Amino acid sequence: MSRFWTTAFALVVLATLPESAHACAVCFDARGESRQAFLATTAFLSLLPLGMVAGTGLWLRRRARRMDADNHRSDP
Amino acid sequence: MTAESGAHALEPRPKPVHRSPLVSDGVLGMLIFIFAEVMFFAGLISAHSVVRSQAAGQMWPPYGQPRLPVEATAANTAALLVSGIVLVLAWLAFQRDRQSARVPLFLAILLGAIFVFFQGLEWVALLGEGLTLQSSSYGGFFYLIVGAHALHAVVALTALAWAWWRLDKGRLTAPLLATVSAFWYFVVLVWPVLYWKVYL
Repeated sequence: MSRFWTTAFALVVLATLPESAHACAVCFDARGESRQAFLATTAFLSLLPLGMVAGTGLWLRRRARRMDADNHRSDP
Repeated sequence: MTAESGAHALEPRPKPVHRSPLVSDGVLGMLIFIFAEVMFFAGLISAHSVVRSQAAGQMWPPYGQPRLPVEATAANTAALLVSGIVLVLAWLAFQRDRQSARVPLFLAILLGAIFVFFQGLEWVALLGEGLTLQSSSYGGFFYLIVGAHALHAVVALTALAWAWWRLDKGRLTAPLLATVSAFWYFVVLVWPVLYWKVYL
């Protein structure tokens, strides 16, 4: 029962905090340009780190394979 | 301990395979730093895009604010891009014969310094025309984004000048040149994006 009330209290606090901080939960703006900008920048900021990590991973894998191939070639 | 496991314990261990690292420690550290810096500029660009989309009457630059010198900065951008290309040539020369990289490395630094110098002149002119940090969000974003890039350019140029000094003394190593070059490539490659978003 105690866990239930703790969870309920946490949910109530979380639900009321944005209002006291004057924060908007969905960053809504009626104009199409603003909504498009929010959508584009959200996608951009979400995908950019994933792209960088994936790109670096692929580059390192290609580099490792090339180094392995060079080592096999140089082995007697 | 069984007899079988004892026999395993007596088997000679295979010799560890010595592999050279995929990238030097310096380059890896610089890559992680560059990732953080990319996200920093991405955040600035995103904020700029949102504020621009909310501009009154979709008017950008806002009424009464000076226009940015698009053509002059395009020429300056070309100097920066050429600097990056010359640095690639310096790297290739360094791999052939270390001392032959002195001239291209110096040219890359010179072109980068020209870029920073003319950006400074542009700032002075814009301040004279009334574009300041406080004049509007347009001015605020301009000085914040372009100023952050200029700061990175100055630090990277200092690092390149240090690398050139070490090369002159015969003490420059390939990992060190690769590390400082990576930072300069970041400065060069992020600029066209900033130019496109801020100036155009």
